[in-house]
Amino acid sequence: MSALQAKQISRSYGGTRALSEVSIELLPGSIHALCGENGAGKSTLIKILSGVETPDSGEVTLNGQPIPLGRVHAVEQIGIVAVHQEPVVFPHLNTVDNLFVGREQSKVGGLWLNKKGMREQACQIMHSLGETFSLDIPVGQLSLAQRQMVSMGRALLQECRILILDEPTASLSARESKSLFATMDRLQQQGVGILYVSHRLEEVFQLAQQVTILRDGQCAGTQPTSSLSRSELIRMMVGRPVENPSRQQKKTKSKSDKPILKIRGMRRDPVFQDIHLEIHAGEILGLSGLVGAGRSEIARAIFGLDPVDEGEIWFEGRCLPEGFTIQDTMAMGMAMVPEDRQREGLVLPASVEDNLTLPSLIELSGWMGMHRKPRHEASRSLIEQMGIKTASRASSAQSLSGGNQQKIVLGKWVYRQPRLFILDEPTRGVDVGAKEEVHRMIEQLAAGGSAILLISSDMPEILRLSDRILTLCQGRIKGEIASHEATQEILLQWALPEERDALS
Amino acid sequence: MKDGFQGLRLGKWMLGLLKQRAAGLFCFTFLALGLVSLINPAFLAWGNLRDIAVQAAPVCIISCGLMLVLVLGEIDISVGSMMGVLAASMGAMVSATRWGLSPWIAVILTLILGTLMGALNGWLIAYLRVPSIMVTLGMLTALRGVTEVIMGGTWITDLPPGIRYLGTGSWMGLPICLWVCAGVIVLSTWLIHRTPLGRRIFAIGSQPRAAHLAGLPIQRVKFLVFAWTGFLTALATLVSVPQLSVVDSGIGVGMELLVVTCVVVGGTSVNGGTGHLSGVVFAVLLMTMISTLLIFMKLGENATYWSRAIQGLFILGAILLDHLVRSKKSS
Repeated sequence: MSALQAKQISRSYGGTRALSEVSIELLPGSIHALCGENGAGKSTLIKILSGVETPDSGEVTLNGQPIPLGRVHAVEQIGIVAVHQEPVVFPHLNTVDNLFVGREQSKVGGLWLNKKGMREQACQIMHSLGETFSLDIPVGQLSLAQRQMVSMGRALLQECRILILDEPTASLSARESKSLFATMDRLQQQGVGILYVSHRLEEVFQLAQQVTILRDGQCAGTQPTSSLSRSELIRMMVGRPVENPSRQQKKTKSKSDKPILKIRGMRRDPVFQDIHLEIHAGEILGLSGLVGAGRSEIARAIFGLDPVDEGEIWFEGRCLPEGFTIQDTMAMGMAMVPEDRQREGLVLPASVEDNLTLPSLIELSGWMGMHRKPRHEASRSLIEQMGIKTASRASSAQSLSGGNQQKIVLGKWVYRQPRLFILDEPTRGVDVGAKEEVHRMIEQLAAGGSAILLISSDMPEILRLSDRILTLCQGRIKGEIASHEATQEILLQWALPEERDALS
Repeated sequence: MKDGFQGLRLGKWMLGLLKQRAAGLFCFTFLALGLVSLINPAFLAWGNLRDIAVQAAPVCIISCGLMLVLVLGEIDISVGSMMGVLAASMGAMVSATRWGLSPWIAVILTLILGTLMGALNGWLIAYLRVPSIMVTLGMLTALRGVTEVIMGGTWITDLPPGIRYLGTGSWMGLPICLWVCAGVIVLSTWLIHRTPLGRRIFAIGSQPRAAHLAGLPIQRVKFLVFAWTGFLTALATLVSVPQLSVVDSGIGVGMELLVVTCVVVGGTSVNGGTGHLSGVVFAVLLMTMISTLLIFMKLGENATYWSRAIQGLFILGAILLDHLVRSKKSS
C-alpha cells in the first residue's frame, strides 16, 4: 500500500515542458531517492507535491485521498512537509519564531502566544538534530548549515507522514549530515515516507531503498537501489548513449598563437577557488558542472560583475587591473550573454532596436547626441544577420519568442565585434529550431576568430560545440578533456561530488 | 526542560539593549534635555514637559501603525491627508451649522471612516498588487482634495464641548490623549510580541519568498496592517484636532513625513523585517522635543524652518547608520 502517489503529473512554464506525465509512488517507512541532471524536473515535482505549485494535469493522492493541490498550508496539515533547497528561513527572526511562524501555538484563541511552550519544543527539536546554538539570535546571523538545520527543524515540528528533502546536505558539513541521517532513520522507523533528492550518489545508495530517475521532465524509471550500480544510475540519468555529432570537421587549432584569455589562480570565496584556464582565438571552451558549482560566478567575475579575491586575468596579453569593472572589460572587447535572459539580458518592454543598440550607444552617437539613422542601419543589419524574426525593429522585446530574444542578446554584442564571448546557458528555454540557429551562430563567431567561453547544463550541446571542456565541482576545476574524447558519463562523473567521510 | 540556552539569555539581552536604537535615543534625549535646561531652566517646567508629551501623542499613535507597515517592507505616505479628511468630516459632523450629530456618533463614524480608508489602501496594495508608494502617493493627493471639498474654502469654529473634551480634558491628572497613546503602545506591544499576527508581519517583511513557501497568508496580513494604520490615524485625529478650537483644511499637512521620520529614526529598517516599538516611541519624543527646543532657543520665525531641516538630517542620518551597520555585518 503506497502512502503518497503521484499520477501522470505534467507542468509547463511558458513554452517549456518541465514535467510530462511523471508518476511516482512512495511507500510508508521507506526512503525513496529522486535523481536527475540539472533541469530534469526534480524541483518542479517537489514544488507540486508540497503544494507550492499546481500541476497542469495529473493527480496526487495520500493514502488514496486526493491532496489539495497548490495550497501549502493545507498540504502541510495533512502531513506532507517539504524542506526546499533554499532554506525557508526568516533572517530577522530568531530560531523559535522561525520554527513556529504560520502555525503558532497560542492560548485564549490566538490572542496570547504560548512562548514558553514553543521555546521548549523548539529546544527539543534542535537538540534532537544535534544543534546547540542559541535560539535567540536572529537566524540571519547563523551559518548556512545552521540555517539549513533550522529549516529542517521547521519541517520536523509538523506531525508528518511524508517528508520531502531537496538536496538537504548541499550546504551541510559531515557532522551535521550525520545527525540529519540519524533523524531520517528515526523517522523512517516511525513509518514516515521520505522523498530524498540529492546529487551525492553515495548518499542515495546508502540511504534509499528505491530510486526514481527523472530525465528531461520524464520518468526514466524506478529501481531498487540494491540492483543498481553507480555507473548504471549515471547512465540512466544521462539517457541512451547519444550519437555524438562530434566536430571532426574542426581542425585542431594552432596552439602557437597567444591565448585571448588567460586566468591564473582566480579565487572568490566561497564560490570558487584555484581557477586556471586559457582560451585561444577561434576556440570554444566548455564549462560544465552542476548548478551551484560556480560556473556562472566565474563568468560574472571575468566580466567584472563580481569582485575577485585573488588571481590574475590576462586579456590579449594585458593584465586586468585590480578592481576592474564591466566598463573596462567591455572596452577591451569582452561580451557576456547572461544566464537569465529575461531579467539580465534584455530590457523587455523596450524595442528590438533599443535592445540591439544599447551597448553601442556611444559609438552610434555624434557630437549632438544620438543619431536616428545609424541606429536604424545598425539594427536593420543586425536583425538580418542574426535572423531575428520580428514584426518590426520597433516591436517590444517581450513580444518575441525565447529563441529570437536570445538572438537579440547575442546580436547586441556582435555589433561591437568582441574578442571574447562569455555565454551562460545560451539556449535555455529555447525551442529546438532556434537552438540549432543559435548553435550555428556560436560556431560562426568562433570561426570568425573570437574566443568563446560556453557554460551549459545541456550536455549534448556542450559536447557538440566545445573544443575542450572543463568540469567544475564545488568551485574547483575537476578535470579537462578534449571534446572528441569526452562523453556525458565522464562529465557527470566529474561533476558529482565525491564520497565524503560522513558516510564512511 | 532544562536547556543550555537559558544561561546565555541575560548576557545576550544586555548586549542587545546596547545595540538597540532605543537605548541610544534614550541617552541622546536626556543629553539634549540636560543641555537645554542649563541654558533655560524653564524648559524643564512640568507644564512644558506636558505640552511636549501632548504634542507627541498623535504622532506616536500613528507611528505605532506605520512601523508595522515599514516592517512589512511597504510604505504609507497618505496618513497626513487621511488626517485632513478625518478632521474635516468630524468637524462637519459635529458642527451645529452643518450636520450637528452627537459627539458620540461622530467619534464612532470617524473611527470607521479611518479604518475604511486604510482598508482601501490595503486592498489596492495586497490584493491588486499595486506598489504601496504609488497607492499612497495617489491617496495623499486625492484625500487632500476631498478635504478641500468638505471644508468648501471655510473653516469650522463651533466644535461642541463634548468633542473639545477629547483634546483638552484630562483624567487622573493626565490629558486624555496621553491615556489613548499609552493604550495604543500597550496594545501594539501585545500585538507584536504576543500574537501570531505580529510574528507573521515580521516574517513576511523579513523574507517574502520564504513566507510564500511557508504558506503564510501574505495578502490578508498586509490588508489588516494598512486598515489598522487607518484606524490609528482616526484615533490620532480624534485626540489632536479638538485641542484647537478651529478645523481648517490644512490639518495633517506634512504629518506623513514626520511619522516616517520618527519610525525610521527609531530603528525600523526601510527594507522591512526589523523594528522596535521602544525605539520608535523615543524617536517621536526626540523629534517633538527638538521642535520645542528650537522655539526655546528664541530663533523666532526661523524655528519652524530649522525644525524641518533637522528632521531631514535625522532621517538621512538614521538611514546612513542603518546602512553602515548592515554593510559591517555582511562583510
